[in-house]
Amino acid sequence: MLINYLLHTGITIGYFTILIVSLNLALGYTGILNLGHVAFFAIGAYTSAILTGMGMPFLLAFACSAIVAGFFGFLLTALTARLKGDYVALATLGFSFVAISVITNWRSLTRGPYGIAGIQKPEIFGWEVVASSDYFVLTTCVAVISVYKIYRIVNSRYGTLLEAVRDDAIGLLALGKNIYKLKYQAMMISAAFAGIAGSLFAHYITYIHPTNFFLADIILMLSIVIVGGLASVRGSVVATALLILLTESIRFVDLPSSILGPSRLIIYALVLLVILMYRPRGLFGRIDLP
Amino acid sequence: MLYAQFIVNGLITGAYISLVAAGFLLIYATNKFAHFAHGSVVAAGAYIVYTLFNILGFNFYISAALAVVLTGCLGVVLFKFIYTRLQERKASSAILLIASLALMILIDNVLLALFGPNVRTFGLLSAQKGLAFWGISITPLQIIIIVSSAFLLLAVWLFVRYSKLGKLMRAVADNPELAGTTGINAKRIQTYSFFIGSALAGVAAVLIGLEQNVTPHMGTNLIIKGFAGAVVGGIHSLPGAVLGSFILGLAENLGIIWLPSGYKEAITFVLLLIFLIVRPQGILGINRGVR
Repeated sequence: MLINYLLHTGITIGYFTILIVSLNLALGYTGILNLGHVAFFAIGAYTSAILTGMGMPFLLAFACSAIVAGFFGFLLTALTARLKGDYVALATLGFSFVAISVITNWRSLTRGPYGIAGIQKPEIFGWEVVASSDYFVLTTCVAVISVYKIYRIVNSRYGTLLEAVRDDAIGLLALGKNIYKLKYQAMMISAAFAGIAGSLFAHYITYIHPTNFFLADIILMLSIVIVGGLASVRGSVVATALLILLTESIRFVDLPSSILGPSRLIIYALVLLVILMYRPRGLFGRIDLP
Repeated sequence: MLYAQFIVNGLITGAYISLVAAGFLLIYATNKFAHFAHGSVVAAGAYIVYTLFNILGFNFYISAALAVVLTGCLGVVLFKFIYTRLQERKASSAILLIASLALMILIDNVLLALFGPNVRTFGLLSAQKGLAFWGISITPLQIIIIVSSAFLLLAVWLFVRYSKLGKLMRAVADNPELAGTTGINAKRIQTYSFFIGSALAGVAAVLIGLEQNVTPHMGTNLIIKGFAGAVVGGIHSLPGAVLGSFILGLAENLGIIWLPSGYKEAITFVLLLIFLIVRPQGILGINRGVR
């Protein structure tokens, strides 16, 4: 029983790490105040669920979820690249609502509020990932590779360029760099990784519905990124593990479920507020919010 | 005739939204950040009425008046204990926006923990039969809602335009530093606008609670609509925000003639996105370097 619970927590930490580190790429490194990340996560989850439902092999659907989410990353940047400051936050927040609203209402594709049930467990070259332990291995592998990839990106020359978009866009323009191209690329990479996380999530819980992806999840993701610190891969990884462990362990507190559900979100909101007020750079952050 | 009914429904929705939008705008104009928890303040106001009237058994008018004052105070508390502290740390408007989202989740879930997920009603007026004329059905309560919100919005507009405090608020909204040099205490004016804006949320809470269900998450929907209304109409202009809210209410209700009714919500967001991208200053707004 305990081992299953630990595996569940491990898997949650796995796909959340991908989600948070990729959000940090857009939010912390590139300085795009993106509140649409939950939409990319949902798009990835639905893409993978729908395609495998049509008989596509897991690996191909997994790749498609990254591509489709990446495409929407491109689309959202096309809409918002020229907006400033909190208007970006508002437009991307609006995008999240539109995406969730379309998922809820496009019944012929997404089965609307009923959600998609019976999503297949992945099969990779004959390895049937059904048991929790196998799924834990898969998620951990994907998470490690994703974090490593993003770590390499942000610590390369290219990562320095992305940080320059955040710190001194005009200076970068003067040097003849195309800041819009960099923004597009950062958002597409970030969205693609969120799509991958979505696919892992969908095939793990095998039943997704629109309420899996909501406003509260945006707060949850923002809390984790800010607790870990902007522009810090290490911070995001540590904060994801800490906060997921914290909320998963709340289950063991002896409270009626009517209190337990809200209290999880109350804790997240309070953590975020306290961090914003007393330690705005989080655990390992190097910069302030744009 | 079908259209006439949808237009009336649109006007009722518009009346609600414009009350939320007007309060949001008063706060936004003087403080220059999006106070997203405003919708949750409305929800808190509705639960204050519910507690006073339904649980403690006060007279409804006393409950309503107390709720309006208490809701105003709640806004001031949020401003003093959260936003001001963040501003003292030189937090950007983006941080304040994130903090307001956190407050929204916080208030919603505190309400959920206290009152449970069940739908509540004030039960003051039982469902009334609609008056039918020219094929349109409208309840007397709905007429009261439209008329009283119209009067209230007119009063707010006159207040902002002609009263001393209204002029001070507009001065701070226009340029806080410049207002400061003429001896205006900007912080105090901002506190006042938080009180007045949140008290408007309290009025909205009373009117909405009279006709619709009260739920812990009602604030989310209200602030999205109110915010979208303010953006569509012009986030620096009170008449603009009211106009935007009515456009939104009408668009939602007329849109479902052609679209499946589930898309009612999506219409708001699509309008919001279009305006944010094409005309972020809104219909009546002035472009102040928002892009």
